[in-house]
Amino acid sequence: MFDASPLNRRNARNEMLVRLLLGAMTGLLVLPVLLILGTLVYKGGPIISFEFLFTSPTNGMTAGGIFPALLGTIFLVLVALLASVPLGVAAAIYLSEYAPDNWFTRAINLAIINLAGVPSIVHALFGVGAFVIFFRFGTSILAASLTLAIMTLPVVIVATRESLQAVPQAFREACWNMGATRWQTIRRVVLPNAVSGILTGVILEVSRTAGETAPIMFTGAAFFLPFLPQSVFDQTMALSLHLFVVSTQVPGMPEELPFGVALVLICMVLAMNSLSIALRMYLRGRKRW
Amino acid sequence: MSNRFLPNVFLAALAGAGLLACGGGQQREVIQNKGSDTLVNVAQAWAEAYKDVDPSVAVAVSGGGSGTGIAAMINGTVDIANSSRTMKDRELDLARQTGQDPREHVVGYDALAVYLHAANPAGELSIAQLAEIYGDGGSYTHWTDLGVEVPGCQDQEIVVVSRQNNSGTYAYFRETVLGKRGDFRLGTRDMHGSKDVVDLVEKTPCAIGYSGLAYATDHVQMACIIKPEGEGCVTPTVATASDGSYPIARPLLMYTNGEPSGKVGEYLNWIKSDAGQCIILAKGYAPARQVTCG
Repeated sequence: MFDASPLNRRNARNEMLVRLLLGAMTGLLVLPVLLILGTLVYKGGPIISFEFLFTSPTNGMTAGGIFPALLGTIFLVLVALLASVPLGVAAAIYLSEYAPDNWFTRAINLAIINLAGVPSIVHALFGVGAFVIFFRFGTSILAASLTLAIMTLPVVIVATRESLQAVPQAFREACWNMGATRWQTIRRVVLPNAVSGILTGVILEVSRTAGETAPIMFTGAAFFLPFLPQSVFDQTMALSLHLFVVSTQVPGMPEELPFGVALVLICMVLAMNSLSIALRMYLRGRKRW
Repeated sequence: MSNRFLPNVFLAALAGAGLLACGGGQQREVIQNKGSDTLVNVAQAWAEAYKDVDPSVAVAVSGGGSGTGIAAMINGTVDIANSSRTMKDRELDLARQTGQDPREHVVGYDALAVYLHAANPAGELSIAQLAEIYGDGGSYTHWTDLGVEVPGCQDQEIVVVSRQNNSGTYAYFRETVLGKRGDFRLGTRDMHGSKDVVDLVEKTPCAIGYSGLAYATDHVQMACIIKPEGEGCVTPTVATASDGSYPIARPLLMYTNGEPSGKVGEYLNWIKSDAGQCIILAKGYAPARQVTCG
């Protein structure tokens, strides 16, 4: 007696179609990632070895390993973090906890969003003008890392500000009512509760920084260096630029080498992202609200 | 505990950077070497070999094109600028204004080969024919215009492969083939590396491209260039480049600020020595002078 009417059937059919279509779209999204990873592992996997990761390139970079590039990328990211995290977190704390909501802070917010939208090659040219030439750092790890830091600063600020604002206002009010100052509240209550979000932002920044090529190309990364860098005023090799070099600039390059470099780079980024997710889950599990 | 976590991370990172800053023992002198993509692989080979000649010097090599190297020389951010063309008067003036004094050193010769697909029967070409193919308003747009038929090339339309316009190779080819005031035709495929040109021509039956002799592979053909006087043709080889008989050959240059002295001078002397010149020969370019290599 409750037979499906034509309308019911049509609705059910449409429902199915839409579900299938959306599901297929989601599948399409995953497909490129799997294809890229699959190709890299298939073509570059065989070359990965202890020697490949921990020795210097030889024979016009067509043989040997990628150690100077791998180490260089780690240095670049570390120094960039040292510059951008304290600056970014401090700015975010001020904007979120101290700044009054007036035209000035709104202008600053707008500037941060615009900074995030600046193409990386523009940051690169700014880095050349400001750090390499004006501050006389020369093409060096310092100049390249500061350029990267400026480029990733908006990510740190936005991530930090959002995780600070996710801490319920009642926590702060309760703390103030106990007679705590603003800074005591931030240090003892707000920051500990926001740390998971801040760390996620920082780690995402790391993974983006590691893959960037344009900002470091003119400011500190070298095509080739016979030695490892000794100070932040030296140039360095970097994985992303090395990938560009071995895949387009050197004749007679064995085919699997560029794939190997790409695989190492992408594994580094994926590992960072996984660490970010794991850390976030761990710290969220400890939240008491 | 969690409020101690962040500061600890910072301390660890700071310690790491400190180690990086002070580690390593004795300080090496760094020679900044930047410029021409044509020279970059030779420059890399020199830097790699010089590590064993003088371990107290580190030669940092970067590419980017002759224009990049010359701009860096003008800015005073390099010790040695690599270039596959001579500096223009305007660039020399700019450099002098910023207090630089560029000095030119010939470190070798490069022959620009005209690359054709392996199946292309047009084995011999004259400079005039190249100008008709590459020049703005040139009359050759199809291989049949040259009286040949290329197997595997539909429509016989010539795919003209060129370089991006800040490349020294681009400037040199334009000057030699199209003349001072000549211009490339519209619609060329402009590649961003010497190797890319050869890769594309290798895979495209309709294509013609120009690139350094050193980028030749077994799967492409190099055109024999007919002499302007019209007596036979010259294939690009190391020998024909350094004796001057091949018409599209150019000097490879390194610029230093003032007469090179100290470690930069020693490095340049080593490059000009037999050891350095044998490396450029092994890379497929012509040495600056006759050398015998083992």
